[in-house]
Formats: sequence, structure tokens, C-alpha cells
Amino acid sequence: MAGRAIWKGYIHFKDVDVPVKLHTAVKEERIQFHLLHSRDRIKLKQQLVCAYEKVPVPVEEQTRGFELEKGKYLIVDPSELELAEPEDSRVIEVHEFVKTAQIDPVFLERVYYLEPDIPAKAYNGLASAMSEMDVAGICTWTMRKRSYVGALKVSGQVLRLNTLRYADEVIPADSLELKNIPLSEKELKIGSDLINQLTAPFQPQKFENEHQKKLHVLIDKKARGEKIAILRPRRLKPTASNKLLEALEASLKKVA
Amino acid sequence: MDYYRRISPFILPHLKDRALTLKRYPNGVEEEYFYEKRCPSNRPSWVKTARITRDEGEQMTVCLVNDLDTLIWVENLASLELHVPLARAGSPETPDSMVFDLDPGDSANVLDCARVALILRDLLLELKLASYVKTSGRKGLHVYVPLNRRDATFEDTKKFSKSVSEVLQHNYPDLVTAKMAKELRKQKVFINWSQNDHSKTMICVYSLRAREKPVVSFPLTWKELEDSASRRDPGRLQVLHSEALSRVEKEGDLFRDVLVKKQKLPYL
Amino acid sequence: MKNPRSAPLLSKLSANRGKDAAEQGIWSGTISFSLVAIPVRLVRAVEPGRVSFRMLHSRDYSPLLRRMVCPEEEKIVPAGEIIRGYEITPGKYLLITDEELESVSPERSRTIEIIEFIDMKDVDSIYYDHPYYLVPLKGGEKSYALLAEVMRRANKAGLAKFVLGEREYLVAVKSTGSALSLITLHYRDEILGDEDITPEEARIEPEETSRMKRIIKGMISDFNPDKYADKRREKILTLLKKKARETSPVEAPEVEEEEGEGPADLIAMLQKSMRKVKKNR
Repeated sequence: MAGRAIWKGYIHFKDVDVPVKLHTAVKEERIQFHLLHSRDRIKLKQQLVCAYEKVPVPVEEQTRGFELEKGKYLIVDPSELELAEPEDSRVIEVHEFVKTAQIDPVFLERVYYLEPDIPAKAYNGLASAMSEMDVAGICTWTMRKRSYVGALKVSGQVLRLNTLRYADEVIPADSLELKNIPLSEKELKIGSDLINQLTAPFQPQKFENEHQKKLHVLIDKKARGEKIAILRPRRLKPTASNKLLEALEASLKKVA
Repeated sequence: MDYYRRISPFILPHLKDRALTLKRYPNGVEEEYFYEKRCPSNRPSWVKTARITRDEGEQMTVCLVNDLDTLIWVENLASLELHVPLARAGSPETPDSMVFDLDPGDSANVLDCARVALILRDLLLELKLASYVKTSGRKGLHVYVPLNRRDATFEDTKKFSKSVSEVLQHNYPDLVTAKMAKELRKQKVFINWSQNDHSKTMICVYSLRAREKPVVSFPLTWKELEDSASRRDPGRLQVLHSEALSRVEKEGDLFRDVLVKKQKLPYL
Repeated sequence: MKNPRSAPLLSKLSANRGKDAAEQGIWSGTISFSLVAIPVRLVRAVEPGRVSFRMLHSRDYSPLLRRMVCPEEEKIVPAGEIIRGYEITPGKYLLITDEELESVSPERSRTIEIIEFIDMKDVDSIYYDHPYYLVPLKGGEKSYALLAEVMRRANKAGLAKFVLGEREYLVAVKSTGSALSLITLHYRDEILGDEDITPEEARIEPEETSRMKRIIKGMISDFNPDKYADKRREKILTLLKKKARETSPVEAPEVEEEEGEGPADLIAMLQKSMRKVKKNR
């Protein structure tokens, strides 16, 4: 079941208006740990403390500063920041459509399901058109005092809204400054063969969060007072450059 | 030297039972000097001594200037300046006072020290601690907080004075520094809290200072300091030995309370 | 990808991000496929563009830090006194050490083992969680380059699981240019179903679809993220520039962040007294 509806708006471009409701699409399950004081096992809370006096500081004594240079700050009042907040509107404005494949996954942030209003005529038409053309709509909207850029996508018959990262929030791969290493044809051929041998269709249902299960087991064991075996993390020995071909060939033999 | 003979009733209580560090000027104040902690072996038999253990574990005999004769003898060793630790020889880990050694940077002066000393006094008063100030005999001032308690430790006095110095630096960053680095000190007054240590010594009150003029490390009243600061007149903040003698005869030992007042450091 | 908004005053927002990212490793270990093992470091691939502010103490502008505090004593708890617990019943905790946590999946906390390769086209983008880059460590450059190149040519990504901190992730390792990037994926059961919001009227009206297709066709373009700017961020930067012109910044006092050392209570009490003294002067 989809998550609850968190916002209402309508998709707009040219003379098209599609009213929709946003629902969360992902729910992460995690075991919650708490941080405690070793002395008395009281649950700790995270607070802002003064770096100088080293005591917690109440909210009335907290102020926001923008660091201009080291040690020098411009003080900003929350009311000033409020003026910078965009006007809330309910419009998800689509500016252009692009081929879905052009959007590198690094830009995708959060995803929401869009629920149609009744009648769903425009919604259905848009969904099937986008599906047939394999396109995504690049759009902007404001929600809860923040401005977003996103991609309107389709999956099956359901429209989704994916928030995108801004261009300068993505660190370009070239900035990693990787060296250019020459590779032999033989290495590349065996590498490619190896990949082919290990290729399988993507079946996400195969994968379970085993760690969570094991954590539950650990917790149960401890709760019962059982001893926990401490296993050391395994570290693999890196493959030396001059042994690469050898390792590839041995791997291929193993899987073929 | 006649000065020491005449000041002896006032200076002896402050020297009593303390391991003396002699600062010797064998060839006069313009020439070289050296510090000597060990009591010279060719001392007269009546010179009182104590055995103390140094940091490395070795034992050492030190002079205790407990009477006039010893004072004169020390004087004759051309030891113009008398430096003593904050603790007495019998209990070398127990400071009798906590001290704030105010040392002006190259472009600061004794009036800046006066300002800092007055702020320090006010803060100490707020903490219910009485304090007493003396001239260092050079450019600085020394503020003493008497404790005179058996449970006082250098660990506490060092911790406390360091924290006070940091708080002053934090609140008066253009005037005060708690850091030793010379580059940071130029126009500021450095509060040398690290003097609160068993291995450190301070110039004894009423001691002469080896300078061209016979200046003395002399106690001042807070009022004098306030007046000098407000009038921006450093004149009263340098006391010559002649003035010292006439003042003690009129006013007695202004530093007497440092020896007897019992106080406890709060918040430790 | 340039930041069109950089001004000398506020250039710190855009300069040199990539370099910093590569230097800040989040995790280091080995990535393997079959018998090939490559030592790597995991680094960030994205950085929030939000204008970041520092929280300061309004009294004297000392910077504020986030620390764990004991709610009863209202005091900071030093790192050495902090332990991890799992709440079995309200108020009752089971202690778990770092070693015990690591021992849950020991093979996975230092190794990303690629078990199979998949076609990225087959992956519904809803599975994507967070992107990172992998950077080769000394000795692994050649194997790294090989993996990146063969995956690029085959247009495939490697699927693996690995443990970071308290969590185990399903990840896709793919090539981006000549680099390897890693994207954490959501598990199948973390993806919520969309059946209940699928329109009931499954009928698709051909004229409506054609109408849409016509309009869409007129709006086709190439994906260029540079076109879109964070409006809120721009407004805040404008506000800050104006402030910088019209007011002078405050100076935050120098604070030595000594952890665990220093009599914290003492300083706080002395500061309190100092404030009184200043008021009376």
C-alpha cells in the first residue's frame, strides 16, 4: 500500500491540468538503536551546546550565522529567512520533456507516487502518452516552503514525481582525477566474458535485508543471555596489477 | 645593603620556610646573573635549610631565610632578587596562594595590566574571593588570592587560574591573552597562569629588583590602582626602595592578609 | 557543470567540491567480483547545495556544536561514556558493542562482493537510494580501470551487498565515465505498493493519449540540469550579499575544541560571574 498523502497539487503544461495527490513511495525498515550514558543507561539526546562553555544552549539563545570568513559571521534572523521562502503554490509546472534514459540516476533524489483525481481521464492519457514515448517531464514546484526541480515519470499506469538534485549538487566524476591506465585486449576480453557469464536478470525480490534479520537474532541471543561470538571482519587480499590476467582467467574457469 | 636590613620585619614573614631561589649578580646588576636553588655549601652553620625532592627524584638542600642574619648573608652573596615558591618547604605541594602573573606584551604597559588586574579583582570578588596586588618591579603586576588551606593543591590552582584567564581572554580579547606565544602577546596583557606550579617561583614581596634604579616588588591598594588607571598615570606603579621603606613604616604590611586569610576556591 | 551564481564573496559555496569529496572517505575496503579483489574507498558523489549556516550562541557568538547530552543532568556526555542500546521494553536496554555489530555480517563490512551483473535498463529507478563514487586505493588502479571499462562496454552494473555502520545495503556498482559509482538500492519490501492509487478507470482513451502525445512532442528537449536553479538558495544568497554590504559581521571568539579536557562546568560558572561583573562595570 502506498504511503499516506502528504501534499496536493496539479501538473500543468500548455493547456493541460492534472490534479494529483503526492504519496510517499519508499519506507525504510531499520532497527533503532539509542545512545545511552554508560553510567546510568539514561537515553541521551542530541542538543546544541556552546563550544566555549560546553553547556546546552536553550533555543532562545541560539542564532544563525553565515560564515563570511574564518571566525566572522553575518547574523541572520529567522524572519529574514522567511522572506526568502518561495510562495507556496499548488502547481507542478512541466517545462520540457526528455528521453527518460538521459536522466543519470545520480540526479534522482526522492520519489513520490501521484494519485489521480476523479475523473482520471487526463491522468490516464498523460500516463499512456509518456509511456509510449518513453519520456519524463522536467518540472518545478514549491512544497512546504522549498523549491524543487523534478522529473515526472511513469511506471505502468501510475505517474511518479522524482525530485532531482540541482546541477551543482552533483560532484562530477572527472573531479576524482583518476589516472588513465592502459589495459590489454586480452584482459578486456576475459573481463567481458566474465561479466556475461555472471549476468542475470534483475530480480529484486531475491534480495532481503539479511542484516536486519541477523541483528534481530543477535538481539534475541543477547536478551536470553547467550554468548555472542565475535567474528573478525574479513579483508580480501587485493589483486596485484601483474596478477590481474591470471585472476580473470581463473575466475572465468570457475564460472564457465 | 641597608634596604634589606630595614625592610626585614616586613619581608621575613613572606620568606619564612620557603625554598629560596637566589638570583645572583656577582658583578653588579649590569652584568650577568644566575639562578641558584641549591643552598651554597659554604654557608654559615646558623643558616636554616630544608631538604626538598626535585622532579627527577634527587634531593637538594635549600636555604630558608627565616631570620635577619640569613637575610643579610644572602644579601652579601650579591643575590639582589629573592624568589620564592608559592608553597612552603615543609609542604611543597600545597600552595598558600593562587597567583595571576600579569605580564604586558611589548607594546602594552603597566596601565593595561592595571585594567586587567581591576577586572580580575571584580571577577574574584563576584566569586567571593579577596585578592591582593603588588607590582612585579618591572612592567607587570601580580595578583594573589590567599588560600592558606591544607587541602589546596597546585592542580586546583592551576586549573582554576587557567579557566579564569581563559574567561577573561574570551570576554576581553583585545586586552587579555592566556596564551604564551609571543606573537599573540604584543598589545595584550598575558596572564601567566602556569606560574601556579610547585616548580615555579615568584619574586617575593618587598624584594628588590635588579634594575638601574632600585625598584621594589611592592603591594598596592586597589584604590591606588583604580586612581592610577583612571588618571592614566603609571607613576605610582613603580616603587623605589626609599619609597617602599617610608610606606611600610606608615602603612605596615599591605600583604599581610596573603599569609593569613583562609579562602576556598569554588566550583571545583 | 558550472555554478552560474558564484561571486567572490560567496565563492566558498562552489569551489573545489570534487577535490574535497575525494579526500573525505566514508568507508574503505575491497570490492570483488569472482577472484578479482580491488581495494577502494567510498566517497560522496553529491553535496547539498543548501546555504549552510552555523548555529551560534546569541550571547557571545561562540559556535554551537551538536553533542550528546544527558537529559537529566543537562550536561554533555563525553564520547567515552556513550554506549549503544536496543530498547527491549520501554526504558530497558540491551547493550550492543561495535564488535558485536560488526560480527553480525563480518564478511560484508569490509568487502563489497559483486554476485551478479545486471542491465541497468532493467532496474526501475524507484530502487535508487543514494549515489557514491568509488576511488581506487594504491595497487588497485589497474583492476579498477578494468572493471569500469568492461562494465561500460557491456552496459552492465554489478549487484552486491555490503554493510556500512549499522545497516546492510543492496548496491549497484556501475561505470560513470572512467570511474566506478555505487548506488545504494532500496529492498523490494521497502518499496510501497501502488495498487491502491492506480486509477480504477483503466480504460485508456486513444484521443486523449494522442492529444497528450502531440503536446509532449512540441516540448521535447535534451536533459540539461544546469537550466534549473534553486530559487530559494538564490534568494538567500541575495539577502546575504545585501547584508554583507550593509552590516559588518560579528566576530566569533576563538574556541579550542578540546574534547574531554577542560573543566567545562568551571568555565560555565566563571562565565556566568563574568557576565555579572561586566554588567556592573
